[in-house]
Amino acid sequence: MPFLLLIEDDDAIRTGLELALTRQGHRVAAAASGEDGLRLFKEQRPDLIVLDVMLPGIDGFEVCRRIRRTDQLPIILLTARSDDIDVVVGLESGADDYVVKPVQPRVLDARIRAVLRRGERENSDSSAFGSLVIDRSAMTVTKDGQDLQLTPTELRLLLELSRRPGQALSRQQLLRLVWEHDYLGDSRLVDACVQRLRAKVEDVPSAPTLIRTVRGVGYRLDPPS
Amino acid sequence: MTDHQNGRRQVWRRRLRLSSLRVRLAAVFAVVALTAAVSASGIAYWLNRDAVLKRAQDTALNDFRVSLSRSVQGLPLNAGCPALAQLASEVASSGLSYNVVVVDDNQPDCTAVSDPRFTAAQVPHALQMAVTTPRPVGPGNPNEYHLYWQRVNLDGQPYVVGGTRVVPTGPTAYMFKSLDNERADLNTLGWSLAVATLLALIAATLLAQAASATVLRPVRQLADAARRLGEGKLDTRLEVSGTDELSDLARTFNSTAEALSEQVEELSAREAQSRRFVADMSHELRTPLTAMTAVTDILEDEADALDPMIEPAVRLVVSETRRLSDLVENLMEVTRFDAGTAKLVADEMDIADLVMSCIDGRAWYDAVEVDAPRGVRAVVDPRRLDVVFANLIGNALKHGGSPVKVTVRQGVGPTGAGEVVVRVTDSGPGIPEEVLPHVFDRFYKADKGRARSEGSGLGLSIAMANAQIHGGTITAANGEQGGAVFTLRLPLRPAGTGAAADGGSADGGSAGGGSAGSSGRPSAPERGGRDDAGDFGDGGGSADFGDRGDFGGSGGSGDGTERRSEQ
Repeated sequence: MPFLLLIEDDDAIRTGLELALTRQGHRVAAAASGEDGLRLFKEQRPDLIVLDVMLPGIDGFEVCRRIRRTDQLPIILLTARSDDIDVVVGLESGADDYVVKPVQPRVLDARIRAVLRRGERENSDSSAFGSLVIDRSAMTVTKDGQDLQLTPTELRLLLELSRRPGQALSRQQLLRLVWEHDYLGDSRLVDACVQRLRAKVEDVPSAPTLIRTVRGVGYRLDPPS
Repeated sequence: MTDHQNGRRQVWRRRLRLSSLRVRLAAVFAVVALTAAVSASGIAYWLNRDAVLKRAQDTALNDFRVSLSRSVQGLPLNAGCPALAQLASEVASSGLSYNVVVVDDNQPDCTAVSDPRFTAAQVPHALQMAVTTPRPVGPGNPNEYHLYWQRVNLDGQPYVVGGTRVVPTGPTAYMFKSLDNERADLNTLGWSLAVATLLALIAATLLAQAASATVLRPVRQLADAARRLGEGKLDTRLEVSGTDELSDLARTFNSTAEALSEQVEELSAREAQSRRFVADMSHELRTPLTAMTAVTDILEDEADALDPMIEPAVRLVVSETRRLSDLVENLMEVTRFDAGTAKLVADEMDIADLVMSCIDGRAWYDAVEVDAPRGVRAVVDPRRLDVVFANLIGNALKHGGSPVKVTVRQGVGPTGAGEVVVRVTDSGPGIPEEVLPHVFDRFYKADKGRARSEGSGLGLSIAMANAQIHGGTITAANGEQGGAVFTLRLPLRPAGTGAAADGGSADGGSAGGGSAGSSGRPSAPERGGRDDAGDFGDGGGSADFGDRGDFGGSGGSGDGTERRSEQ
């Protein structure tokens, strides 16, 4: 049973989502502010966080950034506004996915399950791309022998790209493969995640040699020549 | 580019038009200056000429008279030809340089000249007559013969010819005095005057230029300011200096612009206020709606187990909550378009895939006929386009009835650029003519009598706004068979997405799948079937993902009614 932490300041929404998510089969802990949420997160170590953006005190973006400093667990943003700037800032601060209020519980549940699936182990071998070693069975990635801390989404993105080295994958394909979104996904999810992944795996993130942009198409993982 | 050229042409035309006033001013100044200079120079020239010539010839004639009367005293009566020649050269060499011809009527063959170039034949006949004709002696005229003169041109040289009869019976002497020096002097004078006139003309033109500039600059500034004001730059003001009529005009312009901008500001402030109100209100509505939506699923799941008296009430709450949620969602979307914060997240997509995905996701297979060859690719925001398709098809199903026909074609736009044309035709009675212009208006209900429509009343206007943000448009008309026809036209590449469009065919792979979707109902795996996606075509895994419209408020849920009906 997945253990979720719900951080939402509005009592009604918190209660409603807690009810609905519990009913979907999750164990839910709820917090009414960013500070409470961070405290609960440290005490209870949930599997996933559903995080409201607009919070009194430290806001959702900041909560997201603070968690990302130490932990790579999945975070789904709950934004009241689908204003583009919110989405972009949220994805940059390290969120894995986002949903817009008013969200239907079954949609949120689908997102939660999709995110959690990204961390599941596979029965497969490992492969190396230069100094980068991707161990699919252990679900670890090392660079120069050092363990890289990747979120499940980043890891899944890297796995999907590494499964087809040298082949360009469109953003919509990646949305389907990694996020399990259908045809109408938000391609900014892919862009933001690629940025974060590059920051971790590339020697020079601004001049990527592994995860290459294919203009007008999407991305591909190149084996180093 | 062409706009730029047009603008430039207009500026030039304006300059030319303005300069016509300038040309007129310059012309007037020039005419005045020319008239003054020419008349002054002319008068000066003629006065000078007269004075110079008169002095020269008077001097020569006086000298001739004196010298002749002195020399003639030594002349014997009935002097022979050599004596006459002697006389001629004596007189000629006596004083000023002139040439002398002496003629004696009694010796017609005698040529007494000081210079062989000058002969009696060159003396004008009229002068000869005047000189040789005796005048009756009276109280006012003591002598029979007088000294006469005439100006002539000999071989292009100006001369004054004077002549007189020495004594009543004696020979006649003529003098040729060259006026060449005087002519040279006068020519110099003439040239000087012409140059002076020219200078006066140039000065006048410059003066006219300066004068016209002082008038035209404010006029041009005023014209520019008026143009800028017309372009909507309401903060345009003119610098006012001086108290003349033009600065009065500038002052009037400024106060007019001030009043105008105040009014516009007030109006736009009011409009912004009301838009903000709508945005804030829908935003505020969203929080309770989120809480309510969160529990509607629970209520719905439990509805069957409830008391038959309560169950309809619960279902009503559930369905109306969803309706309200859609309405608020659409309102938010509209306010985003109004505020200009709606953004395009564009990707290169196959339009046929999008149409299929839209119909597929809403279970409209049975009611919609699709003629959409794959391979029509365009750079679009897939979620926004999905809203457009959902609204157009949903509207056609709702008001026109099935079968609804959707065709996708690639066409050529009015500017010659490629465009995507999607036509949605229904089988209904069509749209009344008086309603046609309003179908994209917000909350416009064709049937006023219908108290509650299933839609939010915003669907088509949101579809239109979504088409427009792509640089495209939607038109509504009635087909030949009577049904309503909505035509969506989108540029293949919306402006500003050039980078995303580069080399776009790499994952296109339309070659293999050219007609896969043309017959209507692709199976689910095919939907994802890009050419390089064969090995993960079933990766969607969206079994528990029944609702696809949820995703972003900014695009995913413009057609709530149809979506809900499938659940």
